[in-house]
Amino acid sequence: MSAESALSIREVTKTFPTPEGGEVRALDSVSLEVADGSFTVLLGPSGCGKTTLLRCIAGLESPDSGEIDLKGQRIDDVPVWKRRVNTVFQSYALFPHMTVAQNIAFGLEMDKLPKAQIQQKVGAALEMVRLSDLGARRPSQLSGGQQQRVALARALAKEPEVLLLDEPLSALDLKLRRGMQMELKRLQRETSITFVLVTHDQDEAMSMGDLVAVFDSGRIVQVGPPREVYLSPRTRFVADFIGEANLLEGAAAGGRIDIPGFGDVADEAMSAGSAPPQDGPVIVAVRPENVVLRPDPTGNGTIVDATFIGGDLHVEVAVGDTLLSVRQGGPGSEALAVGALVRVGFAPGSARIVEP
Amino acid sequence: MSTTEAPRRRRRGGRAGQGSWWAGAPGLVFLIALVLAPLVIIVIYSFLNRAKLGVGVKWTFTVQPYVELFYSESLSGEKSFDPVYLQILLNSALYSLVTALVCLALSVPIAIWIATRPARWRTALVFLVTIPFWTSLLIRTYAWVIILNDNGPINGALTGVGLLQQPIPMLYTPFATTVGLVYSFLPFMILPIYASAERFDFRLAEAAYDLGATRLTVLWRIVMPAIRPGVIAGLILVFIPALGSYLAPELLGGGKTSMIANVIAAQFGASRNWPLGAALSVMVLVITMLVLVAFAVVTRRSSRDGNRQQLESFL
Amino acid sequence: MARWKNGRMPRLALVIGFTSMMALAACGGETTMGGGASSEAPASSAEAPAASESAEAPAPAADFPTPNGGELNLYNWTDYISPELIERFESETGITVNLDNYDSNETLLAKLQAGGANYDVIVPSDYMVAQMIELGLLQEVDPASFPNGQYIKPEFLDVYFDDGRKYTAPYMYGTTGIAYDPTKTGGEVTSWAEFFDPASPAAGKIGTLNDQVEVIHAALRAVGSQPCSPNKEDYVKVEELLKNWKPGVAVINSDGVIGRMASGEQIMHMMWNGAFTRAQADNPNLEYVYPAEGINLWQDNFAVPNGAQNVDNAKIFINWMMDPKNIGEATNFVGYDNGITGSAEFMTPELGANPAVVIPEEFKALAQPTPGCPVEVIDLYDQVWTNFKK
Repeated sequence: MSAESALSIREVTKTFPTPEGGEVRALDSVSLEVADGSFTVLLGPSGCGKTTLLRCIAGLESPDSGEIDLKGQRIDDVPVWKRRVNTVFQSYALFPHMTVAQNIAFGLEMDKLPKAQIQQKVGAALEMVRLSDLGARRPSQLSGGQQQRVALARALAKEPEVLLLDEPLSALDLKLRRGMQMELKRLQRETSITFVLVTHDQDEAMSMGDLVAVFDSGRIVQVGPPREVYLSPRTRFVADFIGEANLLEGAAAGGRIDIPGFGDVADEAMSAGSAPPQDGPVIVAVRPENVVLRPDPTGNGTIVDATFIGGDLHVEVAVGDTLLSVRQGGPGSEALAVGALVRVGFAPGSARIVEP
Repeated sequence: MSTTEAPRRRRRGGRAGQGSWWAGAPGLVFLIALVLAPLVIIVIYSFLNRAKLGVGVKWTFTVQPYVELFYSESLSGEKSFDPVYLQILLNSALYSLVTALVCLALSVPIAIWIATRPARWRTALVFLVTIPFWTSLLIRTYAWVIILNDNGPINGALTGVGLLQQPIPMLYTPFATTVGLVYSFLPFMILPIYASAERFDFRLAEAAYDLGATRLTVLWRIVMPAIRPGVIAGLILVFIPALGSYLAPELLGGGKTSMIANVIAAQFGASRNWPLGAALSVMVLVITMLVLVAFAVVTRRSSRDGNRQQLESFL
Repeated sequence: MARWKNGRMPRLALVIGFTSMMALAACGGETTMGGGASSEAPASSAEAPAASESAEAPAPAADFPTPNGGELNLYNWTDYISPELIERFESETGITVNLDNYDSNETLLAKLQAGGANYDVIVPSDYMVAQMIELGLLQEVDPASFPNGQYIKPEFLDVYFDDGRKYTAPYMYGTTGIAYDPTKTGGEVTSWAEFFDPASPAAGKIGTLNDQVEVIHAALRAVGSQPCSPNKEDYVKVEELLKNWKPGVAVINSDGVIGRMASGEQIMHMMWNGAFTRAQADNPNLEYVYPAEGINLWQDNFAVPNGAQNVDNAKIFINWMMDPKNIGEATNFVGYDNGITGSAEFMTPELGANPAVVIPEEFKALAQPTPGCPVEVIDLYDQVWTNFKK
């Protein structure tokens, strides 16, 4: 991320009229720097504006205000066909009347490349996505995964400055999706093209992105490497949307953070060096795997439910009126039977105060 | 296998939702009565002699009408090849072709425009396209007589604002005939193209833009292939009936240039030669079928995707 | 030959004419709709008791039927009889009239030949009567012997197509001549030769009927021959004449003639006299020519076809129509003169005094009915016409 920005998005706003005559603000002053050669993921639930941003970058929508630069050149007033940006569409949008090879060649023909060069690039693109022997097929004769790879090859053959991927894997089944995720990572590494991928699937975002930008209602609420976003969610929304989180309401006063049923959790919730929270109500987020349970007849919690899934024990524990999700691995977990009393605590430094 | 078992077997073998053969019988009878029977009569008449005074036919076999198609006894008395009917047919075909192409050029943008409106508007717009069918073609053609008149609104407006010193004669020209034909058949081009365009996935156009295609390229290389079944259906639906146009050349062309339908009509009227009229009709029929076959061959050769089936089922 | 017998377009066209007038009156568009000759009938039935009673009163033939209700199926040219007149016939006789329309003699003939059409009275033109008699399609009802047969004008009694009126009674007659505007052609037109002259000052603004029989009849006269000429050389000349003439022809169309002539869009046109009087009402400069070479006179006639179901009612109707008052009113509606003596006094003065309607004495010799051409000649007409229009 030390490299220069491939994309620089500054305060982009976009509104759409609603059928009822009102307005919907799809993008609300969104800013984002996408480093050259990075794999950036725009993550958020549907309708959060992430796809609109992607379309603004591609040129299929034009922002109401704000600026988009591609490699230092302003592009938001450049027509779509002149932008050195290409898109892999959610629907793949392969041309049904053309063969696979013709689909890939189409974009190259638009660049008026010589025939021989087009042929060579089409061959290379097909090879890159491992479809060399299917060049003469029609899209309708391909499986969903194959179509997906043709769409990729078609966009990559243009060697864009930035490749935009709009929910490219959402139509694939789970197994295929995992494979394609790896494939996309590989392609990104091999081509060193900047990838910007839109998804609503946080696992996908976590596993693929160098950088994740989390969208909520037309705004980017947090940007950072996946690990950082996971470990240190900035807002209640991010904590909840990415992974699982127990959100506990409490109050901060004079360096203490009191949560009913838990007492002061300031030690666990404060990462080293961070300033104490302002006095007032707070929300503390704790990941299920960071909740520590110790069998204790005088404990503050009661086991409500316990299930083995995979190698983990998934436990529901009640503390007062609050229900917490807990994931426990390793030994000792067999003692956590339903109805057992436990002492509920947090791993040190694992709780986070989040913005509401 | 006993015969009584046969129907039961068939029923068991039939797919759900598939009507029995007999369900189609009324339609079949209808088709035979209303489509086939008149054609058969025309073919038969074309091989008969003229009735005594020329109105009607005499039931004796002859190929004379077909001889008359190509040969005429010149006024000086010798029989020679006379391409007059072929010329008129060719002329009609030219009018039809120009009509079809002008309709195509007008319909593609109109149909695409309609197809890209919100769904609730589309229904209304398609409805608007069909409004001309509410009144008879005769009335609508007369309306063009008024519009194209030397004293009509177009010339009136042009002379009124000083663009013209004198009205341009438009009525009773080939131009007027073409305008009338285009007007008459435009909906037959718009509707099938719209039907194709409505199914078109406009995300494909976005993909093409994204790949660097300009508007014109998108239209030509992405949209056109997708709406091709509609275009072909439209071309056929316009070209063939235009070939048989009667009113436009008569009322708008000023009767100075006959199309083949006018000649055929005359044979059943003042010219009193029903067999020749029938033979001319058969000639038009044959040529129409050849055009259809040519269309089918051309499309089969150039299109190998699913669109073809659509077209074939149409033909 | 298709023609709108009263010089109007059929009703459909009237509707357009009307709506277009509403919409485009200011633009001076086609305004050829028929107006009111029909409403100007001067005589009410009360003013002419003698004539209207004559249907029953004299009764010279004891066996002539008396009205006894029932129906009458009348097959007539489009818009060729006043609806008010039909209503009056119905109320006077108690006979219900069912009216059906055709637009050409050929249509009429084809329908009769096909059989199954039970018409009681039809209105064929002269040459068609001859052919129908030849084909045995008409009943010999002897209209001359009807009570009102006495009113048939002498020159309409022994006609070539029905000597002594054994089969038919006369209805309207008219001529197909030349209409022109002398103030615009800059000279007098008196002949077909001038009409077909490629160097005519009217060239470019000439119109002609879209009617191969009428046009070639006239062209034959122009080259010094006669209609239905059996000489092929005549047709060579006609073809040449028409070929040279065509560039100066603006329109070949039987519709809208009145409007085009009234507005001055065309300044010379082959025209039926009934249509002419209507155009002249709008454009008084127009003149009607009885060309020196001769002019085609057509006569339409009532006849009873074989297979008629109500022969008595047919006779009653035909007799009623030969009443001078009744046919005079019919003339006022269609604008053509008729073949009944004494009808002139029931006609509007404008019609009665118009030389285009009532043929002046000096032109009576020029205006002769033309027998239909034999089929071989019709072929020649067709050949010339097809080549002319290709």
